[in-house]
Amino acid sequence: MFDQFELMRMSKDLALHAAARQSVVAANLANADTPGYKAADLQDFAETYRSAEGVADLRRTRPDHLPGFAGEGAARRITDNAVEPSPNGNTVALETELVRSSSAKRQHDVALAVYKSSLDLLRSALGRGR
Amino acid sequence: MSTGDLFESSRAATSAMRAQAQRLRLISENIANADTPGYRRKTAPFEQVVEQGRPTNEVRLGPVQLSRAELDRVHAPGHPLADESGHFSGSNVDLVIEIADAREAQRSYEANLKLYEQTRQMSRSLLDLLRR
Repeated sequence: MFDQFELMRMSKDLALHAAARQSVVAANLANADTPGYKAADLQDFAETYRSAEGVADLRRTRPDHLPGFAGEGAARRITDNAVEPSPNGNTVALETELVRSSSAKRQHDVALAVYKSSLDLLRSALGRGR
Repeated sequence: MSTGDLFESSRAATSAMRAQAQRLRLISENIANADTPGYRRKTAPFEQVVEQGRPTNEVRLGPVQLSRAELDRVHAPGHPLADESGHFSGSNVDLVIEIADAREAQRSYEANLKLYEQTRQMSRSLLDLLRR
């Protein structure tokens, strides 16, 4: 029963991460022609989740305690250093950004699909049907 | 909050589209004045918008600058503006550069439009969770 809530929380965090990433990508794309701008990205959700599960996790001694996972707040911003900057010092590449944004969109879609089906499952467990 | 992030994204994309459109306007002014005697090419740098000392995701066009490149010397002895040597100063607009610049502006504009569209779809599917 409570696994279901865990799953929903995880998908909520995934959706939050996807939205945060989309906003970082939007900033990159908006500054595609700003001199000296360095493109940034967020850490992968999988890594964020793993690190949150490991060291920083708060122990829950009672089931009604709030969980320790901080969601997108835990995702670190990383700057692309490998990219050769253009003559004005800008490191944004339109192609990379569009790929990133579509992967964020896919992540968001997955999260919402999982969330929705968990919701359906809970509803049918309550006997209301779909 | 998720919708907050999505809202930020669409604001950034909108500001970028506005800035690119302004840039395109400057380019078309340059092209229109390519044959105006004494006209100097206009350019404007992009800059991040800073609000309360913190850089935001948004972007805008900075102050317009006039190119300091040397004006083109056109040989036309019969021209009313011509000096003793039969030359007058044309503009310093290079059409090839302007066209290339316009293409770049268009490409960036389209990329931002694409991102805006995608962000809109994301927030729409988020709101669809409420429906049913």
